[in-house]
Amino acid sequence: MPDVSVVVIVYNDADRLPTAVQSVLDQTLRDVEVVIVDDCSTDRSFEVAQHLAAVHPGRVRAFQLPENSGAGGEPRNVGIQHTAGKYVMFLDSDDVLEHNACRNMLEAAEETGSDIVSGLCVRLHKDTRNQKRDEWYAWLYSTTRTLESVTELPDLFVWDTLSTNKCYRRDFLVENNLLFPKGMFYEDLMFIADAYLAAKRITLIPNQVYFWHVYEKATVKSVTNRRHEMTNYAHRLEIHQRIDALLEERGLTEMKLAKDVKFLKHDLVLHLRDLPFRSESYRREFAELSREYLASISPEAYERVQPIQAICAYLLQQGDWENLIPAVDTLTNRDKVSSPLAEHDGRIYWCDGHFDDTFGRAVLDVTDIGYHEKPVNKLFLRNQLTRFSEAGRTASLAGRITNPLGVIPPGAKLTGELEFSARRRSLQSFTFPVRVLRHEGDTLYWETTADITARLRPLGIVDTIWDVRLSLDVDGVRTTTRLTVADTELAGGPLPVRPRLTRMVADHIEPHISVRGHLAFRLVSESRSGERVQELIARGVQGKPGTLAKAGYRKAKTLRKSLVSGDNKLRVYHEVFSRLPIKKRTVVFESHLGKQFSDSPRAIYEEMRRQGLDFEAIWAYSGSPKDFPQDVTLVRRWSLAYLKALAQAEFWVDNQSYPLKLTKRPETTYIQTWHGSALKKMGFDQPALKATTRQEQSEQQRSLDRFDRFLVRSEHDVRTLAKAFRLKEKTLLRAGYPRNDALVRSRQREAELGHRERGPLAAELGIPDDKTVLLYAPTFRKVGGRHGRFELPFDVERFAEQFGDRYVLLVRSHYLNHVVLPPTVQGKVVDVSARHDITPILELADGLITDYSSVMFDYALLDRPLVFFTYDYDEYVHEGRGTYFDLLEHAPGPVVHTEDDFHETIKSFETQALEYAAARREFVAKFGEYDRGDAAQSIVDQFFAQWSR
Amino acid sequence: MSKPNAAQPRDIFFVSNSVNELGGITSWSHQMARLFSERGHRVHVVGVVPPPQGRVHELADDLPYKTTTLYDEHPPSVRPVRGLKDRLNLVEQRRRTAREAGMREQAAKMSALFRAARPGGIVIVTQVWAMEWVALAHTAGLQVIGMSHESFATCRKSSRFQRVKRFYADTDRMLTLTREDADHWIRQRLDNVGFMPNPLPFFPDVPSDRSRKCVVSIGRLHEEKGVDLLLEAWAQVAPRHPDWTLRIYGSGEEAEALRKQAAELGVAASVEWMGRTGDVPGALREGSVFALSSRGEGFPLAPMEAMATAVPCVAFDVAPGVREIITDGVDGFLAPPGNITEFARHLETLISDKELRDTMGEAARENIQRFSTEEIVGRWEDLFALVER
Repeated sequence: MPDVSVVVIVYNDADRLPTAVQSVLDQTLRDVEVVIVDDCSTDRSFEVAQHLAAVHPGRVRAFQLPENSGAGGEPRNVGIQHTAGKYVMFLDSDDVLEHNACRNMLEAAEETGSDIVSGLCVRLHKDTRNQKRDEWYAWLYSTTRTLESVTELPDLFVWDTLSTNKCYRRDFLVENNLLFPKGMFYEDLMFIADAYLAAKRITLIPNQVYFWHVYEKATVKSVTNRRHEMTNYAHRLEIHQRIDALLEERGLTEMKLAKDVKFLKHDLVLHLRDLPFRSESYRREFAELSREYLASISPEAYERVQPIQAICAYLLQQGDWENLIPAVDTLTNRDKVSSPLAEHDGRIYWCDGHFDDTFGRAVLDVTDIGYHEKPVNKLFLRNQLTRFSEAGRTASLAGRITNPLGVIPPGAKLTGELEFSARRRSLQSFTFPVRVLRHEGDTLYWETTADITARLRPLGIVDTIWDVRLSLDVDGVRTTTRLTVADTELAGGPLPVRPRLTRMVADHIEPHISVRGHLAFRLVSESRSGERVQELIARGVQGKPGTLAKAGYRKAKTLRKSLVSGDNKLRVYHEVFSRLPIKKRTVVFESHLGKQFSDSPRAIYEEMRRQGLDFEAIWAYSGSPKDFPQDVTLVRRWSLAYLKALAQAEFWVDNQSYPLKLTKRPETTYIQTWHGSALKKMGFDQPALKATTRQEQSEQQRSLDRFDRFLVRSEHDVRTLAKAFRLKEKTLLRAGYPRNDALVRSRQREAELGHRERGPLAAELGIPDDKTVLLYAPTFRKVGGRHGRFELPFDVERFAEQFGDRYVLLVRSHYLNHVVLPPTVQGKVVDVSARHDITPILELADGLITDYSSVMFDYALLDRPLVFFTYDYDEYVHEGRGTYFDLLEHAPGPVVHTEDDFHETIKSFETQALEYAAARREFVAKFGEYDRGDAAQSIVDQFFAQWSR
Repeated sequence: MSKPNAAQPRDIFFVSNSVNELGGITSWSHQMARLFSERGHRVHVVGVVPPPQGRVHELADDLPYKTTTLYDEHPPSVRPVRGLKDRLNLVEQRRRTAREAGMREQAAKMSALFRAARPGGIVIVTQVWAMEWVALAHTAGLQVIGMSHESFATCRKSSRFQRVKRFYADTDRMLTLTREDADHWIRQRLDNVGFMPNPLPFFPDVPSDRSRKCVVSIGRLHEEKGVDLLLEAWAQVAPRHPDWTLRIYGSGEEAEALRKQAAELGVAASVEWMGRTGDVPGALREGSVFALSSRGEGFPLAPMEAMATAVPCVAFDVAPGVREIITDGVDGFLAPPGNITEFARHLETLISDKELRDTMGEAARENIQRFSTEEIVGRWEDLFALVER
């Protein structure tokens, strides 16, 4: 008995069959047989199969069905009957097995006694240059694992529905009478569902076992196979229903749910995407088929898919075509806003209506996506083409741009232009002004004509495809839209154009729809000679000279990329810039890796300006230079200018770290202000660093040894940070933090005046005088959750409702996290995360709520109440990297763990100010003894005083 | 003790960098060679070069198998060719040519050995450096098995990583120490990878009764073994348990620095420096808790030996091999790498709870037998059969 029998099915594929069979015969496992089943091909397939059988007697056998069965199911069924091996695998005639596949499968099967062993299937795109690979649901195959039942891993059941990347115990197939359904599409789906459910044990192995060869077929879908598409969909639903029945029978509700999720995420999306381009009758039939099936989908499944997927399914179910068709646009173009949205009771909904349906309201609620917080230039708006016609050399177009939540106000000054640009980058583009732009409430109407023949001058050959965008200017802010073609007919055909290089190849341009549903144009040739020339060019491009030219071009591109790569920049820094003379009186400032103009570097910079020193200030930024001062030299982090500035600077002033690999010149003085006292373990006190080898540690140490001065604000810092960074005593500067000078002074002023003064920030944020200001400033957390964003640990709406009459809550998330607030809390809860400098916010706040953030050490200087909302204390302290001291013991304010306790504490907020007064004083003495309000001045005096004019 | 002979006696070659270089691979290959010989296989241990000076492992005189060292002295070492400058360096070129000629000559010697093998012969290459010679030799009719005796993560950080990918890709099987390591290699698209754990070096008749107030550590005093971390952890435990001692067996370059560190931490009085020991079973029998503080490991023998002696272990979870051997919370404890607070907490749990120590110690002695020599030899013979099928 052979170890493994491989059933190879073939239909009209005589050329590729031998390769498939050879991949079995070449297996490292020797005792493998091949059973070829020909589905009554009309070409030489069966002859080839018989020939292979003759050449490899005893290893290859060939069979033929009496008549064509129309799908892969029946040939496999017949194949199974003829197999003799202990295990059975399936292979299609255009694919191959990995060299070790059979041995790996067999080993796993024998070791575990599994009925099914499944390995990684890899799709190889044979038409691409490097045979692009695509691993089929690779996440299921990251490690070897054995399942006692498929219910342990519903994802396997719902996602990996291939029958080919698997090895089945033959007796298992026979005893359970496992067969493929006859003459139906998606035969794999049914077979594999049956097999998974019948298997007593399944083993997954991470090895590649099956190479699925993908050949791009250039056939354009025509109307005639629309019929075919509908049959397809009907078959798919039929199979789904049968599988659902199986699950129902066995009471597997979890599996059904997982399958429902997959249906919404995958199956439905595949068919929905084409819907905008289909006729009315097609849509009706589609909806008819879908509606019945959607009714069986569990409401819970809607919560587990992306909002737009749930929205589309819901709207389809409701037959709400008017809203569904635009929604499909967002399904295809994820970040597009294709609906005008609706605000209702302080929440944001995808569309108006369905508010009386609780389920619909939940599905359509898109508040958490945060559309309402985005300015118009951050929104990708739907722009639906409503008219397209041609007259002679001119195209005339009209359309409507969605105006969600009235983000474009009625009185706005609007201008727009239509931009044609070649899809291949860095070639030319042409613009045409938009003639009419009219605000119509939910939409913006526009129309224009473009004299394409006269104005659009492509090069020819290299710029065949042209994309069209409409860029809209709203009161000086630009947003760019794409033109969506849905029901509009692109009437008129090709327009004449005059390419600059040659008219031999193309002399017309013709509109078409891109895969994402947008209007685009392509160059075409109307004359016969053009076609011939095109063929010649194609041959040249694919021939020897073309290949050489393309290779050269690629090399040049790689070279350019490597020249500006990090490594080369480092080399330039060390070998060129560092040899230039130091520029006297230059300081490079940086705060939080260039993300902000803030913190102690800013305080030092401002003190230097205040004293009127004569020096050149260079600020590093990453992202946007907006909000940085105008009268300094701004350099983008990691740019050549930045590296040059650093190499030549007399001083570096930073609060976190300049790029680790940059060596500091001995002539440069590095003042490291640091950005906060430590609660959690830092530097070499972190387990992760302790675990590294001495060599790795010394690399890290080199970057820390660049510090010439390190600011500390207490002996606690000396015992923790300085020790953790292994800094020398002479490096330490016991001056306090310049950023905290303002806080110390603020407290002094309050004591002198006998009351608290509010700065200009209160008015800017629109905070009424009679409201108490609380600040919520949690520490950084790794983000998870449905939308991959940081979620507040309490219900802000509940908070606003409860305390909104007395308090304004400011929320400042860590600069790496992002929060979204619903409109309901407007005026009561304010997001202040985007502001660079936290100090004025601290000064404004009458109380602070935090968890483990080092902001506690700074805020305590103000001697105002603190609340510690440590909802994940155990996890954070024990499972994380550990802390230097026990927060519960030293906290100068109440520590709460639950939302209810948090509310209780806030209720008694005022009384706590007194209760914890002593604790706060102790806390400041311990953690902020050197913060005396003169840090910036003393540092400037010590290092920069000689620069006075 | 008589064991039934293997169903099919085979010619088995071990090919390593050296036959007798001090270290884990040598101990392992000679242990396996002895076990295979006992099963009736004909074993031959081949080393490419003599061990470097001062790193010689003394072999017993009565080896039941042959050993061969190919080179009389270490061949000239060469750097890989980079850029035009290297290509024009004639001295270096000549060395390279000489080395390549030498390699072919030595590979031919190996081919001669291989040719004498009966059908079904197996070549086990224990280190990828030695594979460069095996790749040049004729291995027709033999099955070649390449091994990576370290964790994937350790290998990945070294120059061996690329060589493993290059030289082991075409072997009949590549073996790692654990399933987890094998899966990592498979994801690097080496689809011929399996795994094979190390066998238990010994199984003492008399286990420890865990009544002595003594924590034991055995290993070279080298930074990789992390004794500095153990001392830091001990400094958190010792003040609360003044009647307990930490016995550190082993010698090495770090000895002086570690003594100094112990003094600085104020634990000098409770730490006993035992030096190298020739009697590991004895040392373990006197311990109640075993501490493995390594920064990196493959499939470490020391905790296996401790468990065989019924001593529960506390270890940093630095490699799949470690978690394969110790089941956290069942027959020992694991701490996240470098987390000395957790490590100390686990030590303290075992120190203060004799009952738990006993339960875990007995469980350890029971569980570790899944790596008994019989088990592992059986796995090897199954593997030989598999690669032949």
